[in-house]
Amino acid sequence: MTVERAAPASTGAAVVARNVSKRYGPVLALDDVSLDIAQGEVFCLLGPNGSGKTTFIRMLAGYLAPSHGALTLAGHDVTTDSLAARRKLGYVPESVPTYRHMRVDEFLRFMGRLRGLSTGEVGAAIERVAAMLMLGDVMRKPTRALSRGFRQRVGLAQALLHDPEIVILDEPTNGLDPRQIIEVRSLIRSLAPRHTVIMSSHILSEVEKTADRVAVLLGGKLRGERAVGASADLEPWFMSLT
Amino acid sequence: MSQLGVLTRKELHGTFTSPIGYTIAAVFLLVLGYTFSLSLFQTKVANLNYIFHQMYVLSVLLVPVLTMRAFAEERRNDTLELLLTAPVREVWIVLAKYLAGVAMVWGMYAGSIVYAVILGLYGEPDWGPIYSGYLALALCGSLLVAIGILTSSVTENQVVAAALALGIVLMLWFIDAASSLVGAPFDQLLVNLSLIGHFRPIATGSVFLSDVAYFITGTLFALFLATRWLSER
Repeated sequence: MTVERAAPASTGAAVVARNVSKRYGPVLALDDVSLDIAQGEVFCLLGPNGSGKTTFIRMLAGYLAPSHGALTLAGHDVTTDSLAARRKLGYVPESVPTYRHMRVDEFLRFMGRLRGLSTGEVGAAIERVAAMLMLGDVMRKPTRALSRGFRQRVGLAQALLHDPEIVILDEPTNGLDPRQIIEVRSLIRSLAPRHTVIMSSHILSEVEKTADRVAVLLGGKLRGERAVGASADLEPWFMSLT
Repeated sequence: MSQLGVLTRKELHGTFTSPIGYTIAAVFLLVLGYTFSLSLFQTKVANLNYIFHQMYVLSVLLVPVLTMRAFAEERRNDTLELLLTAPVREVWIVLAKYLAGVAMVWGMYAGSIVYAVILGLYGEPDWGPIYSGYLALALCGSLLVAIGILTSSVTENQVVAAALALGIVLMLWFIDAASSLVGAPFDQLLVNLSLIGHFRPIATGSVFLSDVAYFITGTLFALFLATRWLSER
């Protein structure tokens, strides 16, 4: 199948993937994926469960290495220059993990220090993200006591502490109620164009309301990518690809 | 380097707020107190040789339970994904877990210093073997923690991690018994791999560089393997 291509939203590339494949033993999870993601855009990987979205997201985040091909993030190869690439990104995994024995403020302090902020910087960074994500009421609560919605916000907060160039979100609206989905969607929109946002989703309407561009993954293959306009109806396009 | 400090503080916080650590320390010191009292009243000899061997056996059994959470829990809770996508070298992550584990184990050993103090107050012990006994325990404890960290890094199941560590340590303990079954030069190799064979001389007051090197090399090798395993993406 021919891959449909749309021009990136701006000229600089935040992510360049060339012929990227990932193999788990005999299983080919991602097959020869090539795409560019422009700086400052909200880019969404769309596809059903098991299509390779999380594998690609994890490779971008540096958690997995490609079996084949080259993947560059903010100009740094994620395999050979992994530490530099990881400095440029903030990442929220799908399960939004936190350390359950820590309070929210302790968790954010730990993650900030881990991402290279000094003791002085981390306090100001926590204040900034806490205000942005309205975490004031839960800062002293243990993370294990948070609702799914607040856990998602804390996950986003840790990813934004160091003001990264690229924010990677794996299924950011999974498990949220409608109100929380609208809040997270609005937050994601507010991050661009200051940050490049790369997210995954299996919900078409979610993509239409959030993303600037979308790529469809199916069975580990990139089936198409296109810009998402203000009044985009992706359904016919998606159906034609699948 | 400052990230090692950040990670170590987080590990120490996790270790010293976990009920597992305190339960194991309580069991360790309770059994030790019981056997110390018994041996002292029965033999009336002012040395800690028996206690050091008791501590060795307890360490072999309990340290794998202490270390099983190290990476297995991070994998199970997906927090390993946070650590490995942060700009941190894998070796710092491994070292932080190792240092926290060693702090806990050495802390347990330190609880037994009270027995040495009692011997000093009421008898005239030979302090040389007592000092070297603690050196043997410190070295052995470090190796056991490193092996536990290694096995914890390969699985998300804590019980599997503990069982693997226990299996490796028990094999190392008894490996010299198989030396009579193999010919030269493998018989000597098996003898040289023996955990108890290197622990016993130091614990009884004979400190040889080869025995110290065994523990240090084994510790570094286990930590190296854990780092390599963690770096496999």
